[in-house]
Amino acid sequence: MQTIRLKLREEVAVRNARIPVDASSLTPDKLFGKRESEIKAVKVWWGNREENTGELFDVSVEGEAGSAEEVKTVMEGDLSRVKHIGEGMKAGEIEANSDVDMHCGAMMAGGRITVKGNADCWAGREMRGGELIIEGDAGDNLCAMYRGEMTGMTGGRVVVGGNAGECVGQYMAGGEIVIKRNVDILAGLNMKGGKITIEGDAVMPGADMTGGEVVVKGKVLDMMPSFKFVETTTVEGEEYKKYQGDLAMTEKKAKGVLYVR
Amino acid sequence: MAIELLIKNGVVYDPINGVNGEKKDICIRDGKVVAEVKNPTVLDAKGRVVMPGGVDVHAHIAGGKVNSGRLFRPEDGRRGSEPKTTACRACSGYSVPNTFATGYRYAKMGYTFVMEPAMPPLAARHTHEELIDTPILDNATIPLIDNNWMTMDYVKSGDIDLLAAYIAWIIKATKGYGVKVVNPGGTEAWAWAKNCDLNDAVPHFDVTPAEIVKALAEANEKFEMPHSIHVHGNMLGHPGNYEMTLDTYDLVKGVKATKDRPVMHATHTQFFAYGGTTWGDFESKAKAIADYVNNNEHVSIDLGSVILGDTTTMTADGPMEYSLHQITGRKWTNHDVELETGSGITPFLYSGKVSVHTLQWAIGMELALLIKDPWKVALTTDHPNAGPFVGYPILISMLMSKKRRDESAADMHSAIYKKAELPSIDRELDLYEIAIITRAGTAKILGLDAHGKGHLGLGADADVAIYDITPEERDAGKIQKAFLNTKYTIKGGQVVVMDGEVVAAPAGRTFFVTPECDPKLTEEMMPNLKDKFEHYYSVTFANYPVQDAYVPNPYEIKAPMRG
Repeated sequence: MQTIRLKLREEVAVRNARIPVDASSLTPDKLFGKRESEIKAVKVWWGNREENTGELFDVSVEGEAGSAEEVKTVMEGDLSRVKHIGEGMKAGEIEANSDVDMHCGAMMAGGRITVKGNADCWAGREMRGGELIIEGDAGDNLCAMYRGEMTGMTGGRVVVGGNAGECVGQYMAGGEIVIKRNVDILAGLNMKGGKITIEGDAVMPGADMTGGEVVVKGKVLDMMPSFKFVETTTVEGEEYKKYQGDLAMTEKKAKGVLYVR
Repeated sequence: MAIELLIKNGVVYDPINGVNGEKKDICIRDGKVVAEVKNPTVLDAKGRVVMPGGVDVHAHIAGGKVNSGRLFRPEDGRRGSEPKTTACRACSGYSVPNTFATGYRYAKMGYTFVMEPAMPPLAARHTHEELIDTPILDNATIPLIDNNWMTMDYVKSGDIDLLAAYIAWIIKATKGYGVKVVNPGGTEAWAWAKNCDLNDAVPHFDVTPAEIVKALAEANEKFEMPHSIHVHGNMLGHPGNYEMTLDTYDLVKGVKATKDRPVMHATHTQFFAYGGTTWGDFESKAKAIADYVNNNEHVSIDLGSVILGDTTTMTADGPMEYSLHQITGRKWTNHDVELETGSGITPFLYSGKVSVHTLQWAIGMELALLIKDPWKVALTTDHPNAGPFVGYPILISMLMSKKRRDESAADMHSAIYKKAELPSIDRELDLYEIAIITRAGTAKILGLDAHGKGHLGLGADADVAIYDITPEERDAGKIQKAFLNTKYTIKGGQVVVMDGEVVAAPAGRTFFVTPECDPKLTEEMMPNLKDKFEHYYSVTFANYPVQDAYVPNPYEIKAPMRG
């Protein structure tokens, strides 16, 4: 195992109107095989300037890794203006020890990211595989497609310990999302496949869905009128009403399933 | 101090001057090709292929609908993001690139002139503003004149002289280059949720598309216009439309050209060469079109050839875009331009696994290969409708290599072996023919050869593309790569691309035509025009014409009235 510690310098986090840092070049698979001095020279965008990682982060490396899977990147300091953490990563592990900015885990295909605080919008955007654990809240568009695209998350697993914002899993086509508390409007919007489990409350879940499954364990506010009751059924030992929809997408396409209490 | 360049040891293809692969040096001084230079910077072309700068006859690169396409396709924007460099501004987009990417990417392919072929007259300022913002390329733009109420009124009254006075006024008012026709009558009918066949009456105007096309061709030939009318006919993209296409060509057969050129340019002909009655029995009729073009001299065409993959379709042909949107279910936007035209936009994916798309892909190339005289054919993809312009190098490599076409066809839908001609065509274009369909012929079709474009004779604009291949190269992959990124592109005597990278981005010039109408006719036409402004337009007559500030780098071509 190898642990790469990247501590964002305090002056970067507070200086210059808190200009964001783009950390997409600092994934374990991209850093694998690099010595400490080489990691310090990896280019990172800071606003519209390209800087060396060593200028923005304190870097230390412990241990050896035989493959990217054995690399763990621990990101420390105030990361609330660090974007794209773990974007596109294929293997290894990232631990982010604070709140993180937008696009954390976007387009990731493998490995594991743990966020010890909240994640801003677009976390897990267009995720293909791997695991994303957000211990706090997630912002809007969790695991959604990016603007204009027709496919969101296609694989992997995402767990949010707190609440999530609007449009969770928009255009989702595969994979699994679990939200431990409440979600804002339109979870599963345009969903085509995969599964979203909401342990708290949801507002208008499943709108325009044509496939996949949404389970709401808490209350549903403003249930879409375009869903058809199918039967009462048991999920994980609890009784649920099963609905099919969204019939607004025409009866032929309304293959989505919504479980509510 | 004169700025001089000498391109040494290149193998030159300059079809307008009959130069076919000759080892020849090219001397450049102050932006022009000259006989000799004294103290030049030397570019060693070392046996590489040298051609005049490319001239694109038809690509939607600027204006209202192009920008709407950018706005409603953010997902396309992210497919072409490139950070700024010392010479370049930031780029975005693939099928609807931003203005900067448009200029740079064309220049990297060795192109130095592009025609924006569909300017709604009312949106002329927007179109010119985008052209100003498009670096490197010289440009021109053709206003849409066929669905205009003024045009249809004069077609109905049969007054070709007054129609000529109107087109002269509107070409001048928009700083345009000629007469564009898009689904004549059909776009106006679309305002009433209808469409028009060639011989249907346009709702409320009592004229037919056939009458509009013929009258506009006649009115255009009242002037010594550099370009013929530029026609997108009726029923684009509908199975079985090839007969209507041939009927459209026949309409102008008797019209006499004022210059040595055809009287109709039929654009993106691939979309008009369809047989069958439904998408089920859809088949290629490229041969019928090619036979007609081979046997007649009054029509030139461009291909509108398909590049497989995702793109954005956009046209003033509003009803066509609506049918396409109904087929795909993808997002769609529609627009009406008062008294003049309209437009629609929807994204589209051309897939080699779908029989219809495979046949469309074949038809574009069939046209290029079955029409014997390359001077009648222009290479286009109707960017971005059949594919983005960055697909031209793919197309060039296909047209030059039967092997590559066969390999591609083998991976595509088997319909290509039953309903298309392409697999049975052995012809391979050579570099001389490629130079014709991408610069020399296109410059002639647009009448730009007389204004220094499309050739490297003495006095020509020093627009030169140097491709990093030798004339002997047969590897289709290497040909494609070379035509995507030049070794050097020179624009107006300045090196703008070096080793596939843009190194300078000077502003381009806008070419526009001034038809010189008999003032008496203009005077007679004026009350009718002012009446339209007074009663129908939401802008006033005085505020309509584009002022000179919108063409900061002008090149005026005067078109005297005939006899």
